[in-house]
Amino acid sequence: MRRPLQVTLLVLSGLGLLHASLFTDLCLRYVKPSMRPMLVVSGFLLILLGIAEAWSRSRQTPGVDDHHTGQGHIGENHIDQHHTELPEEHTGHNHSKVPRVAWLLFLPALSLLFYAPPALGAYTASRAATKAVPVQDAFDPLPATSPLPITLTDFTTRVQQDRKRAIKGRTVQLTGFVTPDKGSTYWDLTRIMISCCAADAQSIKVRVYGIPALAANTWVTITGTWHASGTLGTSSARAALNGVTVEKVAKPVNAYQDAPPFATSR
Amino acid sequence: MQTTVEPPRAAAEAEVTAAGWPRYWPLLLLGAAVVPGLLLFSVGRWMDSPAVQAWRTVCLAITTQALPFLLLGTALSGAINAFVPARVFTKVLPKRAAFAVPVAGMAGVVLPGCECASVPVANSLIGRGVTPAAAFAFLLSAPAINPVVLTATAIAFPASPVMVLARLLASLATAVVMGWLWLWLGREEWLRPVARHTGHRPGHSRFTEFRTGFQHDFLHAGGFLVVGAMAAATFNVAVPRSVLDTFAGSPWLSVLFLAALAIILAVCSEADAFVASSLTGFSPTARLAFMVVGPMVDLKLIALQAGTFGRAFAVRFSAATTVVAVLSSALIGAVLL
Repeated sequence: MRRPLQVTLLVLSGLGLLHASLFTDLCLRYVKPSMRPMLVVSGFLLILLGIAEAWSRSRQTPGVDDHHTGQGHIGENHIDQHHTELPEEHTGHNHSKVPRVAWLLFLPALSLLFYAPPALGAYTASRAATKAVPVQDAFDPLPATSPLPITLTDFTTRVQQDRKRAIKGRTVQLTGFVTPDKGSTYWDLTRIMISCCAADAQSIKVRVYGIPALAANTWVTITGTWHASGTLGTSSARAALNGVTVEKVAKPVNAYQDAPPFATSR
Repeated sequence: MQTTVEPPRAAAEAEVTAAGWPRYWPLLLLGAAVVPGLLLFSVGRWMDSPAVQAWRTVCLAITTQALPFLLLGTALSGAINAFVPARVFTKVLPKRAAFAVPVAGMAGVVLPGCECASVPVANSLIGRGVTPAAAFAFLLSAPAINPVVLTATAIAFPASPVMVLARLLASLATAVVMGWLWLWLGREEWLRPVARHTGHRPGHSRFTEFRTGFQHDFLHAGGFLVVGAMAAATFNVAVPRSVLDTFAGSPWLSVLFLAALAIILAVCSEADAFVASSLTGFSPTARLAFMVVGPMVDLKLIALQAGTFGRAFAVRFSAATTVVAVLSSALIGAVLL
């Protein structure tokens, strides 16, 4: 890879990272928010590297720096170099030759800049492993507000582990996206959670009855009561809702976490 | 008469001459307009299908996640190369290679990062005269036993703190055994010559050496990182996780299966504990195997190693490491868990 190309690649990669982490929220589609500072630093570092490379190149007298262009060097030394297996070791700078595989780095850089894929959604949720809810022994009494905003995880834990059955008869409100279940009357209200990056996505789902499914990946807030199936408070109970109302909401900025709906004023 | 004249004329007419147009130029023009458009359209449609989108997301996620750590590792390797004299390592490490291996394995504690950082660092260590066996012990142990990863493991397994100890011991044992195995069976010719790391030479600015080494290593390893991320994303999207549950029942199969899963998922070592803790239904030993194998062997790591040390090395080394890691986690899991 020629040196001007290396400069381009470094700067583009840096810009891609900065674009995704500093100027927009794109990086939250791929990694956790805690990675953000590191991505910003990496972006600046890459741009700096690119600038340093360009600067050092411009300072070098042309013809001395780049023996790979092969022009104007007919010295014995150089001919000898081209015949040996590893020409770089003998003289001068040996780092200007970068294998062709480095070209592949253009893909993530350009993809981040111009063609960023969306956050994982229904397709992954319908195939990903289901996240196990944490085991909880003691439950605080539920707040009296109605409808009660609650996360999918909390709802599942309450349904399957709370022996006092505090959730019974309560109207709850949850936010997630739609994962349709082909050929059935129900669908799954879904959240995808990641522990590091989108490669380790796990989903948590609450089955919704009584409301026709919207298009896949639509973010909705849904109100309803527990759909009786199994014994409440034991692991035989299924996290399911009898839906009453459904409302489309904007996709949250950080979609890979389980959060309750915003407190509704209406 | 006609038959003798026709072929050359047809050939002449079909060819684009400087003076005239080819005979079917409107057709050609139309084709030139429509074909790339159709191609772009269908490629675009294909790229936006859910499976391909998920693939692109996962691929980009692995790359994005690993890039900062790769930068850290290559910066460190550039710094070692340019600023640390070779005699430092000969002083710190025991002279006998067999003793140097466990010391280097323990030294893995100091590199706080995931596995992408350790490959370039190990390479620069070899370049600075550290015996390859010791460098490999460091390469294997660093991503698994550093404080960040151990803390994450403790958080992911709040109910069983012994898991942290088991992970530390199993990883360290694997690293040291692999180092000794290299002393016993390893051959220098499997390694790509690392003469590129020449260290500081008189007459060159140390900073320039650092910068160029850093840049070269980053671009080089970055390309292989993308290869690995693509492979891992392919498996990630193509193999539905529901397949997992079919293997959970058998104790031996489940250990092997989770080890294989660790290799194809290529989850970063700082996160694999959380993934392991979510794999409920598998025995603790199987989950331990997942966490021991993951930081040492996975698709993106194999790609990185192939790029850095050569393909002949990466294949043999990864295969041997997998076997040793599975055995050691089975042993330690049987004792501790």
